[in-house]
Amino acid sequence: MEYLAHVKHLTDLQEGKKVVLTIRDLSPGKQKYLARVARVEVSRQPEALSKWDTLWAHSVVGFKDPQPWGMKIVEELGPTVPGQPYSDIYEALAKM
Amino acid sequence: MIRFGEEEEAMATVMEKPGVGIAKDQREFVEVCKRTGDVVIVEKQVDWDLELGAISRRATEIDGPAVVFNNIKDYPGQSIFVNPISTWRRAAITLGLPPHARVPEIYAEYIRRDANPFEPTLVKDAASRDVIIKGDKVDLTELATPLIHEGDGGRYLGTWCIVVSKDPDTGWMNWGTYRFMLHNKQHLTGWPFAPSHLGTMLRTKYLPKNMKMPIAIVMGADQSSHLASTSSTRKGRDEASLAGGLAGRSIEIVKALDSDLTFPACAEIVLEGEILPDQVAMEGPYGEYPGYRSGEMGAGILMKVNTIAHKKNPMLSMDCTGYKDCSSTVTALGGGIGVQRKLEQAGLPVTGVYIPSEGAVHLFIVGVKKGHGGRATTVKILDELTDNRTYATKILVVEDDVDIFNLGEVLHAWSTRCHSGRGTFVKYVEGSAQQLTPCYDHEERARRAGAVAAFDVTWPPSWDPTEIPIKATFQAMYPESIKKKVLDNWKSYGF
Repeated sequence: MEYLAHVKHLTDLQEGKKVVLTIRDLSPGKQKYLARVARVEVSRQPEALSKWDTLWAHSVVGFKDPQPWGMKIVEELGPTVPGQPYSDIYEALAKM
Repeated sequence: MIRFGEEEEAMATVMEKPGVGIAKDQREFVEVCKRTGDVVIVEKQVDWDLELGAISRRATEIDGPAVVFNNIKDYPGQSIFVNPISTWRRAAITLGLPPHARVPEIYAEYIRRDANPFEPTLVKDAASRDVIIKGDKVDLTELATPLIHEGDGGRYLGTWCIVVSKDPDTGWMNWGTYRFMLHNKQHLTGWPFAPSHLGTMLRTKYLPKNMKMPIAIVMGADQSSHLASTSSTRKGRDEASLAGGLAGRSIEIVKALDSDLTFPACAEIVLEGEILPDQVAMEGPYGEYPGYRSGEMGAGILMKVNTIAHKKNPMLSMDCTGYKDCSSTVTALGGGIGVQRKLEQAGLPVTGVYIPSEGAVHLFIVGVKKGHGGRATTVKILDELTDNRTYATKILVVEDDVDIFNLGEVLHAWSTRCHSGRGTFVKYVEGSAQQLTPCYDHEERARRAGAVAAFDVTWPPSWDPTEIPIKATFQAMYPESIKKKVLDNWKSYGF
């Protein structure tokens, strides 16, 4: 499976680190780009890249990191995040 | 291809019967645009995943026609009308003017109609209720929603839409145009600017009580209603009545299925739901009207969609946002006039305001009466335009011998008349700046902080009028008799 996620800083993704992201499913069809929240582990080790899902990271302005990550979903956290409207979503995700 | 003969014919009814010939719904507007050469109907299949957006983006950047996509991959039976009012020609058509009407003529007509509103008529039947989907059966992926630009946060469904909300204390029904994207099958995230009418209402009236805010997103209505929805009207003004004024007739409105919100009865599709007070989700980033995707830190609002109602084969509406989009064109119109009103009410000697689409709602050109410019006027204008919503980052104050709609003339005046030292004034703002402004850094965006520069492009009132430099132009430097002679003989000189 392939996913994409927007992150506040591309450097927020680090080898072997677990992080909560809004991930979007890139499977073709009508449901492409639908989102959910998950705790994931990312890695660029060859083992992860070959056996895990693929994650394409985008910066806060939508710049696509040309090098993908391997991504393992550790925990599904549902569709939305607790917080008031206009909250900084990146801070809200970090609290999960 | 612009066919002027057909254009005149198409608009003849309108000119003879003002208010009658103005398109009463989206499909009629498309028909008028067909006759004037202002729309292309695409029957070839296009992919909603970027191809549709790329076609639409290129079309608007070359000042091309609007587009109707009739064959969208995965979505048989649905169509999308794109870039309804991203040119002055289609702004003119919206108001029932000939498509080649000049910008000042379009402004004048808008002002005339704005001053003559018609109250809406409440009706029972909505065009959008051929198909009604409620509750758990709501699936937003069944609507043809494009990924408009590569790198966007998601698929944007609400771009050329009327977003309806209501003040629970005063009963004021607000129509505004704000962006909304698919989050999952039943949720949309949106980004109404926090100080906008909707944002203010949500923050001050609903959130303190932890109340869900009823909301409706309306697409494919008559262009008069869409235009009214984008206007910069004062809080409390009824946009449905303004829409009536712009259309020259009362707009038919209908009550929502799940709330007492009201919206145009002719709409193609309506989403009803609530803004949740205690849940959020990622919103954006999105390529926006400033002509950039700036990054708004994902800080939007979350809508739970409870009901979808639409025509049997709905024609959705879309603004392919970015450089020279519908937003910047209609803001040049309704926004410019709104700013003019505000300055007039403050007692300023304003003769006109132009917000050119090339400036993407960041550049305001303010005309003032000759001899009434100068430092004090410029600073007062700067103060008036940096209140709770600060959209402009550059304000040029010019005298009324400069045609504010002629960007070459304005640029010439700015370059030559504005003293770079004593004619430039900068004001910093906190909490009111537009977060989409590309030159603000992320910290400024988070604080809604920014700065506005006002340029005094007028001659100092203290200068002796007989010593003010005279423009070295054909218009300014020759006697009327010589100018007439030259113009009368122009071809005979060999030109």
